[in-house]
Amino acid sequence: MQLFLEQLINGVSLGSLYALFGIGFGLVFATLGILNTAHGAYASWAAILGYYAVEWLQVPFPMAVVIGTVGGGLIAIIVDQVGFQPLRGRKGGMLGALITSIAFLIVLDSLAGTATGHQSWAFRPGHYPDGLIDFGPIRVPQMQVIIIAAMLIVGIGMHLLVQRTRIGAAMRAVGWNEEAASLGGVNARVVILITAFLAGATSGLAGVLGGAATANISYQLGEGLLLKGFAAVVVGGFNDVRGTIIAGVLLGVTEVFVSQYLSSTYRDGVTYVLLLGFLFLRPRGLFGSGSFIRA
Amino acid sequence: MEMLLDFWAAYSSTVVFAMVNSFIALSMYAVLSAGILSFTTIVFAAIGGFMAAQMIAGAGLPISVAIMGAGLAGLAASVLLAPLFLRLETHWMALASLALVLITRVVVLNAPALTGGVNGMLVPVRVGVMEMAIWLALVALVFYRLHHSWYGLATRAVREDPSVAATMGISTWRIQFIAFAISGAVGGIGGAGMAVTLQFISADTYFLGAAFTMIASTVLGGSFHWFGPIVGAFIFTALPTLMQSIVPSIQDVAKGVVLLVIMIYLPRGLVDPRARKLRKAARERQTLRDHHAPLEPSHDTILPGKTSKEAKA
Repeated sequence: MQLFLEQLINGVSLGSLYALFGIGFGLVFATLGILNTAHGAYASWAAILGYYAVEWLQVPFPMAVVIGTVGGGLIAIIVDQVGFQPLRGRKGGMLGALITSIAFLIVLDSLAGTATGHQSWAFRPGHYPDGLIDFGPIRVPQMQVIIIAAMLIVGIGMHLLVQRTRIGAAMRAVGWNEEAASLGGVNARVVILITAFLAGATSGLAGVLGGAATANISYQLGEGLLLKGFAAVVVGGFNDVRGTIIAGVLLGVTEVFVSQYLSSTYRDGVTYVLLLGFLFLRPRGLFGSGSFIRA
Repeated sequence: MEMLLDFWAAYSSTVVFAMVNSFIALSMYAVLSAGILSFTTIVFAAIGGFMAAQMIAGAGLPISVAIMGAGLAGLAASVLLAPLFLRLETHWMALASLALVLITRVVVLNAPALTGGVNGMLVPVRVGVMEMAIWLALVALVFYRLHHSWYGLATRAVREDPSVAATMGISTWRIQFIAFAISGAVGGIGGAGMAVTLQFISADTYFLGAAFTMIASTVLGGSFHWFGPIVGAFIFTALPTLMQSIVPSIQDVAKGVVLLVIMIYLPRGLVDPRARKLRKAARERQTLRDHHAPLEPSHDTILPGKTSKEAKA
């Protein structure tokens, strides 16, 4: 029972990382129509920035999280303005932005590899919350609690932002039709910048927290998150924050339980089979309406 | 002549890799030209690659037979997959194909009897430059013929506007199904090509890295004409070698920047039939103007009661 509970928390916190990461990925896909392969690189870079901040500038860990998060957001804005902005209004569809995002993936990953000397770094003990918290029968690492809390706060905040506020309405409008939104008085340029920043920042947050929790800060951090975050977005439905959160947590729990109770070789297999099953059975995600608009 | 031979000795392997990558790029182009963004090419390549490796290493068959077998295996896989994929909307199709690439890796890793599992597979033979060139020429010929056929016209219509195409009596589903089938066969051949040039294939050979680089080179070369993917594959294969000799420390960064710059300034790729037609039309207008200018009435001369000199004054 104790093992089960501990593994459950493990899974939930792992899934929270996927969800946190997936929120931004889905937001960009739904609002800006970009399949952003460079989204994982934001997380890698945020973790690297956080590491620099803690180990070189000796700032406290919460400050490093803020630096990583804001840094991720700023990188996302740069990528958007340099790589995606010139392609807007040319009716290139998804393709052009996909290719420029691949270009940025190559550049950012290779720079991240150089920055870390192609090694995997970890925060030194004591430089981040590495203690355990007592919850009656089980003890939970502080980082896991922080990750779950961060995911809940960001997830609920983001859901409310997208669904209940004027900015969120503007984002959804731009996602549906940028031209019509502009005619309706929405400043599409500002909405795009906000979306890009939010996506980069959530990815960055997932990167710093994940880097600290898994003791793996490298250019590969982003790729791992990208694959699983991507799965969470597909299962949950890319235009729904709630779906991404639930799917992310479910995937995390499944992954941990499969490797605990079945075999670790099936760990990724189960995730991806689940992913493909969802795609064909519920192609619009957990909360999808299922209505198709065919051109 | 000496120099040419030296050059060939140093770069012949790059040329073979470029030719192999051309198959993969053409396979991506096959679906792109029908308006589908899909990474399934890599899946077909994996199937073709391991098929060819088994045929050569296991059954001892010659390379050309293995490549044919790989093409057929890719074709079979695509025919099975296409109906599933064509049920999905474009955005979801792209995601589903990416998911399938991830799953392929897991399957390859967990089927050691067929693929060597984590250890991968060694392929004992290496394909010759000539043989690869002949295969590429054959496939290119098929694409050339298709481009100028009714099917080629129909794919362009489906890509530009599916609803208009449907109004014209073109079955979008059928065109895209055929596109998938072509993509599967060519992708399988490309995968086999990778097996007989790299001589070692594993789950990582056919993964996201290949998927991203190959879609990038396809679009870079131009996804509106069959020659574009070949140009793109050659450039993107030669680029790292070139960068290695110019800026070795930041060759990956340079590769990304080149890709970015080309996509921003030439978003339709290097080979773009529309741009060529526009240039041709502009040239024709120019020659027309040069020849007929004196005959055409200008604004000055039609002003009533004044000669052109007076009008200007």
